[in-house]
Amino acid sequence: MKLDMHCEMILDKYRKKLPVFEKLRSIVTERLQQYLDENHIIVAGIDSRIKTEQSLTGKLELKGYKYHSLDDITDILGVRIITFFSDEVDVIAAIAEKLFEIDWDNTVDKRKMLEIDRFGYMSLHYICRLPKTLYEDPAMPELNEIRFELQMRSTLQHVWANMQHDMGYKTDVEIPREYQRSMTRLAGILELADEQFSQIRKDITEYRRKVQSLVASGNFDEVPFNGDTFRSFIALNPFRRLVDKMANINHAEVYDDSLMPYFNVLLLLKMETIGDVVRMRNDYSDSAYQLALVQLAGTGLDILASSIALQNLCIVYILKKGFGEAGLVRMFDTLYGKNDYNVQSAERIFKQAHRVNII
Amino acid sequence: MKTTIQEQDGKMVAILAGSLDTAAAPETEKAMSPLNDVEGKDIIIDCTELEYISSAGLRIFLGILQNVEEKGGHVYIKGINENVRTIFTITGFSNIFKFM
Repeated sequence: MKLDMHCEMILDKYRKKLPVFEKLRSIVTERLQQYLDENHIIVAGIDSRIKTEQSLTGKLELKGYKYHSLDDITDILGVRIITFFSDEVDVIAAIAEKLFEIDWDNTVDKRKMLEIDRFGYMSLHYICRLPKTLYEDPAMPELNEIRFELQMRSTLQHVWANMQHDMGYKTDVEIPREYQRSMTRLAGILELADEQFSQIRKDITEYRRKVQSLVASGNFDEVPFNGDTFRSFIALNPFRRLVDKMANINHAEVYDDSLMPYFNVLLLLKMETIGDVVRMRNDYSDSAYQLALVQLAGTGLDILASSIALQNLCIVYILKKGFGEAGLVRMFDTLYGKNDYNVQSAERIFKQAHRVNII
Repeated sequence: MKTTIQEQDGKMVAILAGSLDTAAAPETEKAMSPLNDVEGKDIIIDCTELEYISSAGLRIFLGILQNVEEKGGHVYIKGINENVRTIFTITGFSNIFKFM
């Protein structure tokens, strides 16, 4: 179909303005990414595109009569932010409102447009302008005049939109009636899943907050032993006194390494609460120190990894509980994987422990 | 103390032979310094012929590890004898390095 003169003029203006759209695209995506980075907000992705001439021609063929000029077409530049969770879409919307001028007259929250008997899974679209406060180039004043579309949606909303698009339907009304029920069910599942993901995340955050407060308050017997609670516990530096005492043997420097590898060892030792770990520390710190003394004194080794304290505590615990050399081999297998050195290390440590009356 | 650096199957390998004591540490550190410029490759420290390691040697290993991990790589220790392994165990350094 041939375009009329009015539409040809719009198309001609589009071609001339392409460099401005490219520049606008780069500024908008850069500023968005910069703001997200500065505020430690992680999103699943930021996409952008400039409408192709072919696509614009198609749009003008269909409804060119609606547009007085190119400026009336607000989606020549489209930017899309995909969040992990649906409740983050509102956070991104608030950021967009802070960064850009929103054309509220032309902005619609498509999420609220769905009627109860219709299906679909839509995103939030804002029509925006780049404010001079964010970027200004006197040589390109159009940068602050052109409107662009900012789409914000969750990953599952994105999945829905892509699937629908892949099947060749741009809107829910175009779907043949015999398939509408199947699509409605699918949309419902995705929407429910999105809500559930957000809810689970909220619940986990709440749980972590509660556990951190229990750990901080010292109610260790009430704190179940798991990866989260152990992480919170070790953040309190609970083995520091023992590490420093061991370091004093050779006036050693201490390198702070992670204690998380010992989580699996403590699981193996059947720790049920953080209180159990605290009791192990309180009951066996002296023996763990004696073991370090026999191992380090006279060696001149003046650098230690901070994990040495927990390592020796676990060794002493294993031996005191009667698990013997086999228990030490299991501990080393858990930490380093099965290998011959573990058996040799266990034998040597068993003899040293004997010498300082740990067993 | 002898240090040889070579590339094997896309990994940088440092082969150490002798006793890495305090006196040998500065020379070994210099010999191993090219490893600090390695980008995007894992590093293997072959200790098959390493007889002893002092704190100064452990510090050299730690420096290499920190540098490589910052660039997203890994450091593996290979062929360690029982004597050197004991030093790694009693200092807690066996919790920091990966062995192969």
